[in-house]
Amino acid sequence: MTPLQARSLIWVLALLPAIVAVVMLRESDLASPEAVLNYLGRLTGIAGLALMLAAAILSCRVPGFDRPFGGLTKLWWTHHQLATAAFLLLLAHPILLTLAAASVSLDAAVATLLPSGLDWALWTGWGALLLLMLFLGPGYRFFGEPDYQRWKRLHRLAAPAVVLALIHTLYLARTLPWLWEAVLWLGLAALAVVSILYRFSWSRRFGRRPYRVARVVRPANNVVELELEAEGPALTYEAGQFVYLTPRDPSLVAGRGEEHPYTLSSAPGETGLRIAIKALGDASRAIQDIAEGSRVQVEGPYGGFFPQRSSPDAPELWIAGGIGITPFLARARHLAEVGEPVDIVLIFCVQDEARALWLDEFRELATTLPGFSLHMHYFYENGPLDSTFVGERCPNVETRTAYICGPGPLLGLAQKVAHELNIPRSRIVTEEFDLL
Amino acid sequence: MIQKLTFAAFVAFWASVATVLALSALAPDSVASDTDALPEIDAETLAGHASLDDCWMAIEGKVYDFTDYIPKHPTPPSIMAPWCGREATEGMRTKGYGRDHSPAAWAMMDDYLIGTYVD
Ligand SMILES: Cc1cc2nc3c(=O)[nH]c(=O)nc-3n(C[C@H](O)[C@H](O)[C@H](O)COP(=O)(O)OP(=O)(O)OC[C@H]3O[C@@H](n4cnc5c(N)ncnc54)[C@H](O)[C@@H]3O)c2cc1C
Ligand code: HEM
Repeated sequence: MTPLQARSLIWVLALLPAIVAVVMLRESDLASPEAVLNYLGRLTGIAGLALMLAAAILSCRVPGFDRPFGGLTKLWWTHHQLATAAFLLLLAHPILLTLAAASVSLDAAVATLLPSGLDWALWTGWGALLLLMLFLGPGYRFFGEPDYQRWKRLHRLAAPAVVLALIHTLYLARTLPWLWEAVLWLGLAALAVVSILYRFSWSRRFGRRPYRVARVVRPANNVVELELEAEGPALTYEAGQFVYLTPRDPSLVAGRGEEHPYTLSSAPGETGLRIAIKALGDASRAIQDIAEGSRVQVEGPYGGFFPQRSSPDAPELWIAGGIGITPFLARARHLAEVGEPVDIVLIFCVQDEARALWLDEFRELATTLPGFSLHMHYFYENGPLDSTFVGERCPNVETRTAYICGPGPLLGLAQKVAHELNIPRSRIVTEEFDLL
Repeated sequence: MIQKLTFAAFVAFWASVATVLALSALAPDSVASDTDALPEIDAETLAGHASLDDCWMAIEGKVYDFTDYIPKHPTPPSIMAPWCGREATEGMRTKGYGRDHSPAAWAMMDDYLIGTYVD
């Protein structure tokens, strides 16, 4: 199963309740325009709730579970899309029902829209929808550029929103036979609860592994590479995977006890882990001064950027931008350890040579690793990356799988370049460093 | 793209809610809720309107003519049929699986009110 198929499967499962509701459509649901509106109102409620629960279930972040879906960043993306679809449907839901009631009278429409007295069914519906607006809104930049950590805390409102939505539904559901309703909603809700409990209780306690910062290396003035030593069972991982890192150093001025995703830059065969961090915000700036000997916790591994093996029969094109070099660094270090021939062209995009990280190490790898070649692209010298630049340096480019990692603009540009060079979409793999 | 779409939907949602509220605040009261002026209807008269083509029901002391409403009701007409021409409070309070109708449903009924029920 390809990652795309796996993600499509999630959509089908998430839409299953709505599909059942369509299959069980009754003649009376189509009897008049208002009956259709009311039916669509209920259908959007059903689809919205199911998509919301599916998004909740996907939030569990079990290491390894993300692999078939193309990695955790892709799974987060699916989670976003599910939630967005739910949000749009649920905005339509009360409006459709209100319009349907308007065919009787305006009073009936108002009574459908607004709860009166102790009308728990509608109060809970409204509660869920308002919470949804509150915690989803910032993700769509409703109120300007969000602060990631604040948004992450705000996002916890998802839990009460789902609970309220479920209560609302158990009050009002009437589209499906009640046994279906009960089994479906309670089943999905149970899965969501298990998922959340795993995430916030089990994985916090048992999923985070204790490590110690053994050494801090400074490849540039705004980048550190931490070398970590296991204080318990060591993590097993593949090159290019990432972890959530929680620093515990009490002297950190920001981000202490906060989890942030970082790629492992070490090769899986090394003892200990390496993580390279560029100062991109307050937490990553503060960590530049992390104390040697301090404790960190590591949760993972996540992601599935690269295939399990490399060989000259499956030639690769790597395009890295800035700190997006880290998964490639890990992979190159790993391939150097394995020592088998490969067919890989790396295009490393940075602004100028002063900003090229690990350049010496890559140059050395290019001479020792058979079949690996390195080409630097300096923005100040070469301008924006284009297909001529890549095409001239990369033989048989159309036969390669392109792996792309870097900041947003480069990611888009490199995908366009790969496309222009006739690499089919199924062989263009990206990794985003931005989750929101 | 998605951000713009969701924002547009968000604004459209609140605009619709505001429109409904504004309409209801501005529209003249549709039904005279003065029950004294309504005719009294007894069980016998009620029983004379016991078909889907001519369906009256008594609910909590009031009589409603639901003939026009039957096609709008969410369930198949056959669900309502047995209650036509009868005291139907129980049906209203325990629809389907023993649950009450929503306040919205109760609010709709005023529009079909035709009399008070005398046993
Ligand atoms: C899969 C993946 C792999 C990454 N690998 C590396 C790496 O190897 N080296 C490296 O330097 N950086 C890496 N990053 C980026 C790194 O996670 C962010 O730079 C860091 O979290 C910024 O935090 P901050 O508080 O310093 O910055 P902020 O000012 O808070 O944020 C800067 C940007 O980073 C993102 N961000 C902030 N906090 C989080 C968080 N908790 N989770 C996810 N994103 C967040 C936000 O989109 C924000 O726009 C990776 C990100 C992802 C998703
Ligand atoms: C997150 C928010 C919400 C979710 C997930 C949700 C979900 C649902 C679901 C699943 C149903 C049952 C459909 C069925 O099986 O028949 C339903 C019914 C209903 N909802 Fe919501 N809802 C939400 C918000 C609201 C709001 C804000 C209102 C306010 C007007 C509302 C009004 C109604 C009404 C009136 C019904 C009954 C429809 C009928 O039976 O004709 N809902 N909702």
